[in-house]
Amino acid sequence: MKPLTEQLKTRQAAVLYIVFLILVFAPLFMKNDFYLDGFILIFLWGAFSGAWNIISGYAGMVSLCHNAFFAIGAYTSTLLFLRLGITPWLGMFVGGILASAVGVILGLVCFRLRSHYFVLATLAFGQVSYIVSVNWRSLTDGAEGLALPIEPSFYGMIFAGKLPYVYISLFLFVAVMAVSYAIEHSRLGYYLTAFRENEDAARALGVKTGRVRLVAMAISCFLAAVTGSLYAQYVVYIDPSSVARLQLSIQVALFAIVGGMGTVLGPAIGAMIFIPITIFLRANLGTAVPGLHMIIFGLILIFVLLYMPKGIYGMLKDKIDRTRGISKSEN
Amino acid sequence: MDTTLFVQLLISGVLLGGIYALASIGLTFIFGVMKIVNFAHGEFLMVAMYLSFWLFHYFRLDPYISILIVAPLLFLIGLLVYRLLIKPTIGAPVLTQIFVTSMVIENLALLFWSADFRTVSLKYLQNSIVLGPFPSLGLEEMIVNPARLIAFCIALSLTVAFYFFLKLSYTGKVIRATSQDRFTALLMGINTDRIFKLTFAIGIMLTGVSGALMIPIYTVHPFVGFEFILVMFVVVVLGGMGSVVGATIAAIFIGIIEVFSGFLLGPQSKEAIYFLVFIAVLVIKPSGLFGLEREEELERIEAID
Repeated sequence: MKPLTEQLKTRQAAVLYIVFLILVFAPLFMKNDFYLDGFILIFLWGAFSGAWNIISGYAGMVSLCHNAFFAIGAYTSTLLFLRLGITPWLGMFVGGILASAVGVILGLVCFRLRSHYFVLATLAFGQVSYIVSVNWRSLTDGAEGLALPIEPSFYGMIFAGKLPYVYISLFLFVAVMAVSYAIEHSRLGYYLTAFRENEDAARALGVKTGRVRLVAMAISCFLAAVTGSLYAQYVVYIDPSSVARLQLSIQVALFAIVGGMGTVLGPAIGAMIFIPITIFLRANLGTAVPGLHMIIFGLILIFVLLYMPKGIYGMLKDKIDRTRGISKSEN
Repeated sequence: MDTTLFVQLLISGVLLGGIYALASIGLTFIFGVMKIVNFAHGEFLMVAMYLSFWLFHYFRLDPYISILIVAPLLFLIGLLVYRLLIKPTIGAPVLTQIFVTSMVIENLALLFWSADFRTVSLKYLQNSIVLGPFPSLGLEEMIVNPARLIAFCIALSLTVAFYFFLKLSYTGKVIRATSQDRFTALLMGINTDRIFKLTFAIGIMLTGVSGALMIPIYTVHPFVGFEFILVMFVVVVLGGMGSVVGATIAAIFIGIIEVFSGFLLGPQSKEAIYFLVFIAVLVIKPSGLFGLEREEELERIEAID
């Protein structure tokens, strides 16, 4: 018989594999658009939260301005398509690169700030980006927003049914997790963790903390922007309050914190918990009880903070590690 | 720009700054002593504004008198929130504990009081005070909003009183000792937990007073806290986190910037301007204009984290 550690590992892998298969095939058998919409939202928000997690979870630089990068992605692909006729399939990468550039510039300016100060600087930047998107009317049409044409076309990345969106967003979702996994198991990931735990020690050991963080920032911004583009393509309408609101940053932070910061699966778990709650409440209560979903989010978060400070995935992992530890000592 | 206009804008800016000052002092105080960034501060402000509004609405209580009820209530709310949420999670990631509070309070307000904008208008505040003209200074007539003037005067006198409370009273000294070095204070027999509780409640109470002062000027709605919290952060960082005097001066500075940029560039850009000032200050001198030296401050923060 295999040792317990390997068993646990294979069991974990098997569970993940099954979940993945369910995610891939379940949408095919669903006739109800309502549930498909739920899947798409989970994937998109999970991906956004995962992108946030790269700079905030692994690198420990908690950013509250990811709404800016999401908005850059959404506006870039939409504007390129509307004004220049460039397909969003290309536009989303342009948006991603643009967001990376902005993120790197922001990083160059702000990364020397520590803890609270960095958070506050990003908070200010996030709000500035919202103000800019409202007031730069010649580019963004301000609060009126931009609407994409509704005729389905592959070139315009607009589809009649929801299935293509499900698979595109699933692809992004998996890609973000794969990137996180790759970072976690690469030199970059170890550098980031070392820096997060103790910057001075990491520097003394020769880690170029500045450059490493910039790389993480660039990746994180790129993925956030691509998510923004896809969101715009799915909703077909963007305005500052839907893609540039500061609350978006807070929301994805919330998903990742509840799921487990600095883990591959944490943000995904967070999105899988919160999005269905939101959809369920919206469907059943409508606008009769405004703000209820945020109150419930808050209560869940309080519960998680009090009883699982490392997030849900962090707690599960600890439990598994502990059983492993016991089995080792028994051997 | 002629002199009259300049002085007029300056007066408006200073008065606006006075209001920001009182709202921010609680925030900077909590940060200085407890080293936590109270993201929920704006929501406490909102709660205070609502309390003052309802007292006016149902009991026709003058907002300036309602301070006497609102302030103690906010003190109690502060104690409660500290006990329920801040204390048990003091080791958790700095931000999250407060986010939650902010989110929950904001949405409870939305739930109970709906998203309507509410406002209080007082008869005796409707006529503006006219200053001047002062021909010898080359100034024509200038207008002062009485509600803002009253708010400014009360805010400023409270700030001064609070400053002397911290400097002179025994409790104030104990609070300052805790703020300087939590562990040494503990060794000296100071009950730091009690001090934290007190600090949090006093910080919230100060915000409560400013909420009551704001209700004759601003409309209140569940998201009003978010509008002010960002300004408060700008003020607190600019003044140096933890510095009461710094926050007061910074608030007046921000008030002036807001009024002038609003006049010169249009109201939509004023927010962007002071956020850019904010980022610039953070980058050039993160400890703020009146804060501790950077290294010292960082050491303290890291020692706590």
